[in-house]
Amino acid sequence: MLFQWFTIVSGWASVFLFVALAAYKIYKFATMPLNLRWEVYPVPHETQDRRRYGGSYMEQTDWAKESRPSSFAAELMEMGSEIFFMKRVREHNPYHLWPFSLALHWGIYLLLLWIGLLAATILIPALTSLTVAVGVAAFALGAGGAVGLIVKRATDEEMALYTAPVDYFNLVFLAAIFGLGLGSWLTDPLFSQHQAYVGGLLSFRPTPVSPVVVAMFLLLQVFAIYMPFSKLFHYIVKHFTFRETLWDDEFNVKGSSQDERIARQLSYTVSWAGPHIAPGKTWLEDVQVTSAGEEEK
Amino acid sequence: MSKKPIRFRDVARSGDEPLASLDTQDLIKLDPLDEQPPLGTPRTRWLETYDFSLDGFSDFDLPKPKTPAERDRLVQAFLSGLEKLFDPQNNWTFLKALKLSMDYCLRCQTCSEACHVYLASGKQEIYRPTFRSEVLRRIYQRHCTLPGKWLGSLVGADIDLNFETVWRLLEMSYRCNVCRRCTMVCPVGIDNALIAREIRKLFSQELGIAPPELLRKGTRKHLEAGSSTGMTPAGFKNTLEFIEEIIEEKTGRKINVPVDKKGADILLIHNAGEFLSWPEGPAAFSILFDAAGIDYTLSSDLLGYDAVNYGVWFDDVELGRVALRHVKIAQELGVNKIVVGECGHAHKAICVTADRVLPGEYSLPEIPRESCLPLLRDIVKSGAIQLDPSRNDFPVTLHDSCNVVRLMGIVRPQREIIQAICAQPLREMTPHGVWNYCCGGGGGFAIMDTLNFSDWRNNVSARMKVKQILDAFQDVLGPDTDKYVVAACSNCKGAIRDAIAHYGLKEKFGIWYGGLTDLIVNAMTDLPQPYIEWDPFM
Repeated sequence: MLFQWFTIVSGWASVFLFVALAAYKIYKFATMPLNLRWEVYPVPHETQDRRRYGGSYMEQTDWAKESRPSSFAAELMEMGSEIFFMKRVREHNPYHLWPFSLALHWGIYLLLLWIGLLAATILIPALTSLTVAVGVAAFALGAGGAVGLIVKRATDEEMALYTAPVDYFNLVFLAAIFGLGLGSWLTDPLFSQHQAYVGGLLSFRPTPVSPVVVAMFLLLQVFAIYMPFSKLFHYIVKHFTFRETLWDDEFNVKGSSQDERIARQLSYTVSWAGPHIAPGKTWLEDVQVTSAGEEEK
Repeated sequence: MSKKPIRFRDVARSGDEPLASLDTQDLIKLDPLDEQPPLGTPRTRWLETYDFSLDGFSDFDLPKPKTPAERDRLVQAFLSGLEKLFDPQNNWTFLKALKLSMDYCLRCQTCSEACHVYLASGKQEIYRPTFRSEVLRRIYQRHCTLPGKWLGSLVGADIDLNFETVWRLLEMSYRCNVCRRCTMVCPVGIDNALIAREIRKLFSQELGIAPPELLRKGTRKHLEAGSSTGMTPAGFKNTLEFIEEIIEEKTGRKINVPVDKKGADILLIHNAGEFLSWPEGPAAFSILFDAAGIDYTLSSDLLGYDAVNYGVWFDDVELGRVALRHVKIAQELGVNKIVVGECGHAHKAICVTADRVLPGEYSLPEIPRESCLPLLRDIVKSGAIQLDPSRNDFPVTLHDSCNVVRLMGIVRPQREIIQAICAQPLREMTPHGVWNYCCGGGGGFAIMDTLNFSDWRNNVSARMKVKQILDAFQDVLGPDTDKYVVAACSNCKGAIRDAIAHYGLKEKFGIWYGGLTDLIVNAMTDLPQPYIEWDPFM
């Protein structure tokens, strides 16, 4: 009974810890300094025509006086094509990682959906068949994708060079979760024990379930806590790399909030030691120095 | 294949033997050429003094440190710079993109074959976009992160940091053109080209080490003498007289090129290298602007006649200094906007990258900065000048400057111009537009010619562009057919000029190159003779 209570507490603790840790990481990303403009075209929020060939507002004269297009929907579409279809990996990866990577990612998406369906099935029993189908697909795709990527990375000499033990650890971790999921399904084809565990979690009523089901959920909980510290958090990072850097074509306007942010950053002190850098000055002071740093020192 | 497997730990290997040895047989083939030019090797007398331990090439004329203490000082300075690279005050400019790229690269290698240097070299491991990033990442993890300090090689932090590692990393940062084609294909938005630039920045801003053409003879000379060419304001005025003579000689027109004209609509800034190497370029602008009635001026103020901003390749402080001076000159002249001539990196520096290192009073709406290409397109399309495409009745291909297309999204104006002024359809390179390949001179390489670096550029980084040019003209390769490569960028022109000479493309295939404005002026109906000279120096 004590262990059953532990699994309830660990389930909720992992949810809260995941949310807290993810929020902390997102806060850290969001409060990083404003990057210099460093966009790469095509930028998806451009007009449909320009987006097609990678054009920008800078193809016009007097563009600083014109209104600029901004399509959040187009950004979502572009991001979606990457998240759900892994477009860039499919088109450009020379090591043919795409089928395995796609399978692993869809395994994760379906796993999250499956957990939701387990809860929903408590209220709507008619969803059982769908829950089983989604669960089996999630485990099969996730396990196949993770194992496939491990094999690819281990057997291709060039991929192996770049794969650190921690990369294998991440993939083995995922393969273990999905593998346990598949194993638990073999012992419980309708996922009734999984549903019982989720039901117990939601109602705070510990329910005895088989060791393999407990093991899968405990592993999943550890994974949820570990993930924000790992590279597997890259799905959140994409917002900052794409939307806040590679697609950020917003030029500064005097008096704007961006201008205030830039002014704050220009007041930071430069302490680089190069002979042409004037020491102890702020960025704004230093860029006004046009003669060599030695003269200023 | 002569390539030997390389492990990351090899980067720390002592001795002068290069980490990788290039062989002509490994490079991509250029089919129309009967013979591949041989790769250069360092002169024997250099080997004693300079370090060639990455791949047998170098642009750094810094003598190798002689004592362990000197070597250790460099390593310690590198570590100090590494800390500053990840410090929000010292590197606010690129911290976000750098940190996320360092921490979240999945090492999937999707970017590998986007890189023309990696492909052209026959897939040399050290030129893979992720290789140098991974070296920096492993050092950074080992020395700057808790997981790296505690777990070491389990998280990949397994490279010894010594003089050899530091020097090879410096060299590696100058084997990337920073064209950022690899960034386009990354599923996570990781920017390996930025990492190369950040390594350069660490060396420049902390140790004062950079290729001599970029820092000592580059930004330093630019800020102190007025131009990286060494041209002073007085020298610039003399050069303008020469430009006016060229105009008169080629067109019969007497044009006074406006200088320091207060209140003009446009301040036109050229790459000053144009005045020396391709004076017909700035002359073409003056002919065209004069004929179209454009109200413009050049500036003879210090820096006002040289649009280059080498800081964009390696140093944020120098980037800000040059950009600020350019913008202040425009403000003092009271012009409505700055228009940048045919120089790709100068486009990106002043119109895009430097935007956020300047205070609001110099922001883009206050002092607009634009590319010359939309203005040229508008002039051509306006009908203000009579243009006859039959004057340009020869095969034309277009080299896209990475800075202009991929990094600014200016793709269509140059194509609309060529369509309007050429008799034959534009022969697009494959790929082109934002997917173009760099000319091989990007990131400063076009002007780097210390020691044997230009051998590397011509044979490796420019090789893919040469292949593209040959492919674009494959059905008209005979030397009797004049063919024109449009390169609306000074550095691209420099790289292509050198590649044409290196591979003998003019004599063997009749391939020549030049600016876009030259081509427009060549189509003007009221000029007495063709403007383009097909063989000016041969």
